[in-house]
Amino acid sequence: MFTNKGYHMNAINLAKANYIKELLNRDMREDSRALTDFRDISINTSILKNAEGSAQVDLGGTRVLCGVKLQPEETMKDTPDQGNLIVSAELLPLASKDYESGPPSPDSIELARVVDRGIRAGQCIDLKDLFIEEGKAWTVFVDLYILNFDGNFFDASYMAAMAALSSTWIPKYENGAAVMEERVRKLKVDNIVTATTFAKIGQKIILDPDVNEEAVASTRLTIAVDKEFIRAMQKGLSGSFTQKEIQDMVDIAFEKHAMLKDYVSPQSNQ
Amino acid sequence: MANMLNKPELLREDGKRLDGRDLDELRPLSIKANVLKNAAGSAYTEWGNNKVLAAVYGPKEVVPRHFLDPERAVIKCRYAMAPFSSLSDHGRSGPNRRAIEISKVTKEVFDNVVLLEEFPETAIEISIEILQSDGGTRAAGITTAAVALANAGIPMRDLVYSVSAGKIKDKIILDLDMLEDNYSDADMPVAVSPRTGSVLLLQMDGEMTRQELNLGLDTILEAGKQISKIQRQALIDVYE
Amino acid sequence: MNTILIPGDLIETDVARNRNYYFTDGSNSYCTSMCILNNGRLVPLEGLWYPNEGETVVGVVKEVKNSIVEVDLSHFLRAIIIKSPRDRIAFRIGDIIEASVKQVEDKKTIILIFPRLLKNGQLLQVKAVKIPRIIGKNNTMVAQISSFTKSNIVIGYNGLIYIRGGDMALAVSAILKVAAEAHKPGLTEGVKKFLERELEVTEK
Repeated sequence: MFTNKGYHMNAINLAKANYIKELLNRDMREDSRALTDFRDISINTSILKNAEGSAQVDLGGTRVLCGVKLQPEETMKDTPDQGNLIVSAELLPLASKDYESGPPSPDSIELARVVDRGIRAGQCIDLKDLFIEEGKAWTVFVDLYILNFDGNFFDASYMAAMAALSSTWIPKYENGAAVMEERVRKLKVDNIVTATTFAKIGQKIILDPDVNEEAVASTRLTIAVDKEFIRAMQKGLSGSFTQKEIQDMVDIAFEKHAMLKDYVSPQSNQ
Repeated sequence: MANMLNKPELLREDGKRLDGRDLDELRPLSIKANVLKNAAGSAYTEWGNNKVLAAVYGPKEVVPRHFLDPERAVIKCRYAMAPFSSLSDHGRSGPNRRAIEISKVTKEVFDNVVLLEEFPETAIEISIEILQSDGGTRAAGITTAAVALANAGIPMRDLVYSVSAGKIKDKIILDLDMLEDNYSDADMPVAVSPRTGSVLLLQMDGEMTRQELNLGLDTILEAGKQISKIQRQALIDVYE
Repeated sequence: MNTILIPGDLIETDVARNRNYYFTDGSNSYCTSMCILNNGRLVPLEGLWYPNEGETVVGVVKEVKNSIVEVDLSHFLRAIIIKSPRDRIAFRIGDIIEASVKQVEDKKTIILIFPRLLKNGQLLQVKAVKIPRIIGKNNTMVAQISSFTKSNIVIGYNGLIYIRGGDMALAVSAILKVAAEAHKPGLTEGVKKFLERELEVTEK
């Protein structure tokens, strides 16, 4: 939950939360979705021309913009033949009345790290492909910008990051410097990882919680998968899951992957 | 004025600017209001290659409490450039000194026109995010934020606009892009309350004569009619 | 289409104006919010709610102290109920209530009276400026929605609406339709047709 400093609780969300619990007792949701349905998804890529890659994802009311920038940097001592990937996330104050300007919040750091983990574990980007010359390699900066928050920024951010990376072009490198105006080849994306986030409210488990559902959830689980493997997981909040519940959620995550992957990268066969 | 040694020619032989504009011509400008769901008001602007998003929240509780004013609302303003907004380096996120200054002068523009005395002990928050930048982003930010405030129903005495004028050799130019901003002889962002013609933001660096300053302001006031018209249409389109 | 005015626009002298949406500068009056000119009247399209005595509000109990109940009206003004010993309601945090505005103290606190608990229903939030249209002339709009959907609807001038029972989903979409089209003429008839059409579809 996002703390609204100086305001000990949001009473209106609490009232909405009570209603959500009531509905879930009858297997219903406020927007008449089934318990394991995603909200509407739409993705636009290559929308920012100064970024080497970009995508905007709408997942219901949640809107995430992802920009990818490439920059030549010194290679690291222990990995002299490869580049680097840095994922950051910002919960912008324009996205919610509860977000404040300031240093990165724990929530934004968690989001960035969970997305980073899935991309890395899924070997989506071949870091060796980023090598330029002795001592130089591209660093790929993936910046996630939450523009409107209506719950479940994990899944939306995964899609935004994967779609932006899939649309990224690598600039020309000449005489020891990048020529940012000229882009010469597409960034190779070897694998697509998508995330599916669940929330537990009472004894019910729902997929893709919106902001009101998140407010009342006791537990949350994000499962990032590719076609074959689970690549990253993150449980949030203080509640718990049974092993059976986890197995069921993993099954659904794999089931949803085919659909999500098509949104992110319509042509790919991963 | 960066790198004076390798200063490129900014005017073509036919007297037009490098992108084909006349000296007093604005870049293409389009504004859409009411683009974000959660915010009380919002607007998105494409101005040349600039892409700017602004949102308004409030009046709301003042945090931290020591900013509270018992007589009127306080405006909190954030102007920030996205780390992927410029073609060159990946920018560090978070407000730097430049962004803090722009946030401050932007706040002061709106302090002038918002009826702050109607909401004592509250805060009105303005967020301006530059998603893609090509010179003149503070002007684009103010012009966008004015639309977002009106969309939010925050009472104002006027709908302000902002644009910059500058100078190449002895010529006054309007609405500088990044290249012109970097290499021109002067840059002067201005914000205006069109109802009264009063100037609410005025910054300048470079060199300008008294006459050139006047000509620059005249050019801005003339272009302001077009900008105001586009702002008005954006606000009206919400109800179409 | 009626004329839409934006902040700073001049208001002609013969226009009837709402005190909260204009300011006067010497001899002339100017709009301060998005407004529409409707039959010589200035009607706000955007703007905040300025409480008036007797107006109904819907809110959520935020804090309960010995003698004061603080209510979240989703508004910048603090709202309180001063409990009297005769009050029989046991307020709990999170309760949805309906109440009436008694007065605004010092431009900072709304004093509420006649509180009533609202149970087992849904809260819907719309812009407060749309509320008069959702209520309609002599309650016609809300009465119409209520009779078609069989929902119990309580409308707060602060923009919060409580809905219970009946076809709640249809009631919500009808209310959102009114809010979105509040500036358009012939809305009562339009909403009636909308409700008839929707009910026909579900019955088939």
